[in-house]
Amino acid sequence: MSTATAAPTPAPGQAPTPTPTSTASRRRPPRQRAGMWARWLVLVVIALLFISPLVFMLLTSFKTRADATSLPPQWLPEEWTLQAYESILGATATPVFTWFLNSMLAAALHAALVVVTATLAAYPLARMQFRGKGIVFGAVIATLLVPPVILIIPNYLIVSELGWLNSLMAVIVPTAASAFGVFLMRQFFLSLPPELEEAARLDGANPWSTFVHIILPLAKPAIATLALLAFLGNWNDFLWPVYVLFNPDVQTLPAGLATLQSANAVRYDLLMAGAVIASAPVLLLYVLLQRFIVEGVSRSGIKG
Amino acid sequence: MLTTSPRRSRRTTVTVAAAAAVALLAGCSAGPGETSGGEFTGEYDGPAVTLSFWNGFTGGDGPFMQELVDQFNEEHENITVESNTMQWSDYYQRLPAAVTAGEGPDVGVMHFDQLGSNAARQVIMPLDDMAEQLELSADDFTEAVWDAGVYADERYGIPLDIHSLAMYYNTEHFEAAGITEPPTDAESFQAALDALQAAGYETPFWMPSRWPAHLMFLTLDWQHGGEPYAADGTAATFGDEAGVQSLEWMRSMVEQGYSPADVAQDAQYVAFKNGETSITWDGIWQFNDLDASGLPYAAAPIPAIGGEQAAWASSHQFFLPRQEDPDRINAAKVFIAWMSEHSADWAQAGMIPARQSVRDEGALEGTPQEPLAESLDAMRFIPTTPGIGTVQTETVEVAVAEGVLGQGEPAAVLEAAQGTATQLMEENLEAFGE
Amino acid sequence: MTSTNPAGVLPVAGRAPARRGLQSHGRATPWLFLAPYLLIFGGFVALPVVLGLWMSLHRWDYTLPRKPFVGLENYTDLLDPGSTTFGPFWQAMQATGVFMALSVPLLLVVPLLVAMLMNGRFPGRNFFRAVYFAPYVLGVAVVAVLWRYLLDTNIGLVNYYLELLGLPGDTAWLTSTIPAWTSLVGVTVWWTLGLNAVIYLAALQDIPADLYESARMDGANAWQQFWAVTLPGLRPVLMFVMINTIIASANMFGQSFLMTQGGPGRETRTAIYLIAEEGLRNFQMGSAAAMSYVLTVALVLLSVIVFWLFRERKEKES
Repeated sequence: MSTATAAPTPAPGQAPTPTPTSTASRRRPPRQRAGMWARWLVLVVIALLFISPLVFMLLTSFKTRADATSLPPQWLPEEWTLQAYESILGATATPVFTWFLNSMLAAALHAALVVVTATLAAYPLARMQFRGKGIVFGAVIATLLVPPVILIIPNYLIVSELGWLNSLMAVIVPTAASAFGVFLMRQFFLSLPPELEEAARLDGANPWSTFVHIILPLAKPAIATLALLAFLGNWNDFLWPVYVLFNPDVQTLPAGLATLQSANAVRYDLLMAGAVIASAPVLLLYVLLQRFIVEGVSRSGIKG
Repeated sequence: MLTTSPRRSRRTTVTVAAAAAVALLAGCSAGPGETSGGEFTGEYDGPAVTLSFWNGFTGGDGPFMQELVDQFNEEHENITVESNTMQWSDYYQRLPAAVTAGEGPDVGVMHFDQLGSNAARQVIMPLDDMAEQLELSADDFTEAVWDAGVYADERYGIPLDIHSLAMYYNTEHFEAAGITEPPTDAESFQAALDALQAAGYETPFWMPSRWPAHLMFLTLDWQHGGEPYAADGTAATFGDEAGVQSLEWMRSMVEQGYSPADVAQDAQYVAFKNGETSITWDGIWQFNDLDASGLPYAAAPIPAIGGEQAAWASSHQFFLPRQEDPDRINAAKVFIAWMSEHSADWAQAGMIPARQSVRDEGALEGTPQEPLAESLDAMRFIPTTPGIGTVQTETVEVAVAEGVLGQGEPAAVLEAAQGTATQLMEENLEAFGE
Repeated sequence: MTSTNPAGVLPVAGRAPARRGLQSHGRATPWLFLAPYLLIFGGFVALPVVLGLWMSLHRWDYTLPRKPFVGLENYTDLLDPGSTTFGPFWQAMQATGVFMALSVPLLLVVPLLVAMLMNGRFPGRNFFRAVYFAPYVLGVAVVAVLWRYLLDTNIGLVNYYLELLGLPGDTAWLTSTIPAWTSLVGVTVWWTLGLNAVIYLAALQDIPADLYESARMDGANAWQQFWAVTLPGLRPVLMFVMINTIIASANMFGQSFLMTQGGPGRETRTAIYLIAEEGLRNFQMGSAAAMSYVLTVALVLLSVIVFWLFRERKEKES
């Protein structure tokens, strides 16, 4: 797939190629219209700065080895070839496809674990009165301020004692206690009208069935946002997997790419092919869910 | 692969972690692995096993190792060896962690200078009985290589090969500059560089600041009559007069314009392959890669810049990771023995077989490294003291980089690095001490 | 809804508006809900914090059976210029400091400018928003590997184009100190600009248009509108972005690990890079744990200062 054509689907009623003569700008005085043009120009230049490196990455992955390090650098391959992909996908030391599957599996399970634990934990913190609530909530909030670096060294030991080194468990579980997730879900639950639960209680429902049948269905958007953020965070996690996964066949993509780079420091054709394989699936997913992802992330700057 | 289902492990996480913590706090520790699998008979007739074989042959040498492994698997019905190849730098970080966590390999190859650290960490097991059984002895090996496999009076490594730095030069450039013989000392090297510049090759000798810069530095240090480390591993001595002269010479290559400043990692090698530079010093493991690139090149021993003929060298050695299963240990020993006997084929990877008998059988005939093997006596090894690898990355490598990049005076950066290195070595002696 | 507490992001426990909780649950019910979270929290957050402290009081080599108790030596070593950890640690702290000082302001201001450019009804806005955010989705490994290629001294596109423009085309972007920092900061901005920009954009869109209307009625120019309407409207989100960016910058690892390997010497080896190397490559977990506690204290202090700054401003206004 090409990153250059990764244009999002335009919204209904929106021209796919932006034209400066839309009704909105036609009603504006000329000075404002000039401003529109200038703004537009700046945005296009910035967009090029973002798109062109990705295009170059894609084109380089189809170059021969010599071509990728040619002087001066060329945008288009002298001869189009799949050599780089063949040698990467064929190398047992760098099983890129396995890394991709590992990353998918780890990120999905991690996201599920975060959603389940955070949603369950947030509900009583939002909706029940019990002794110790303040302490629990305080502890959760405190971890928002504790930099993760403090956990790296001791967690390595704990993971090692559990026998999880060199297994995906090590990248799925330890970071799954998401204070941010609890906080996000609690905010959401607080925003729901209490009458919902009142009514359910009068019907004789217990807290669990109220939660499952009334609250959860309403929480779908918040859960989706949290799941996406947790997925992305885990997908891009770099430091931890580099140190806890040893075998090529259990590595995730970011750690694998580091392996690929150290093994092929100057084989830019291979490195770019690896980078394309690592980024193509997420980019595709991103193009499909772009609205949703960006909305979710932008709303994560929640206000208290 | 997941070791357990997330659900079950969630229930046990805290109890296990708590138990682990209690065990740690109580100061429990595994005892040293004394056994190395009972009597080695040279044969394996136990149940079928699959052995995990870790190595760092990610470069042009990888396919040759894989061929050997495939051949071994064909010849042994009840042993299957699976290679796990990774970058050496990752390798030395992962191996101790993996073995300590019970996730280690059954057999592996490492550089001789890492044997000490791993023996002290009880990551690997002694192999004396095996060396005896194979009737391997010092007679068949160069003394330095044979001794390199020993730590604390016990043998931990079976030498597979010797590899050193060499000088590669572009034969086309040499021809154009009218140089007929590869340079052999400081004067002829300088003359060659000047001739190349006169012929239009502006930067004939790119000076790296990263790998293999510190290997070049060690080479020069020995050539100047220096010795980078005290043999007993108690102190670093690379900051003495010989060391300072070596680093000054490296920096002078940049200052005199033979090399561009700030050469990026691996750029000197790429430039050599692209014909942008005429001479580069690199390991003999690059032969295959250079052959594949179609570059007109030749190799020669590193010129004796400092007066003495010397070159940094290392050796890949087989080792046995600590483990309990006697069957696997025996199968692994069969693999090592077989590999040692077949090390002639390994010469195809650009290495020099460690065994004299293998070399005498003509393993090197016609190989590009043949002229280098003649100067085996000039090859120098650093001591195998535990922790030396870390000492090098934290001190020598940094000082050499700073010196080459001109960020500090060679004498000053080396002195600082030497002090730190000595301190680290003392700390290591204390930490790894019995 | 606007913030009712000074912190803006973090509600202070107990000060949340009292709502009617469910009265009809048993004593164990809330704890059953909390149990899965608390299990992971206990095992991988609470326990490690204590365990790390314990480790930092020992010479804790993961692979050696002997792990002697050394008291506060790991900490005092960090303050003793004669120790082997002093130099590397403070050099790494300095590297982290340099990176934060350079990248945090840029990551606060540049995305805001971009968000303001995008804030308006014009065709293609969502396309731009999607493009700017794309690198963040790709993750640090892809971004760093890609830029290492583009910034290659000899064959990189960046130097090639600089030369075409008549500028020096032989800058060693990744192997000399100042250019290396420039590269690391620049690439980080390229990578995460979109994240902060979309958060800002969402906040900008929440600012009621009639506020701008009335500001214009009062004769405010664009600059005055920005100070009087935009910035106050962004305040809650600004602190969130700031804390987030500070923590992300303090945790910078991948860019340096992949692009400069901490080089040229050790100048770009950040504190977290050093801690990972010391603890997980050299297995000196005791001193690595001590380093991570010192770094954590520094970061917590920094966060407190940020909170205090925002609180201060609020009091001044009221």
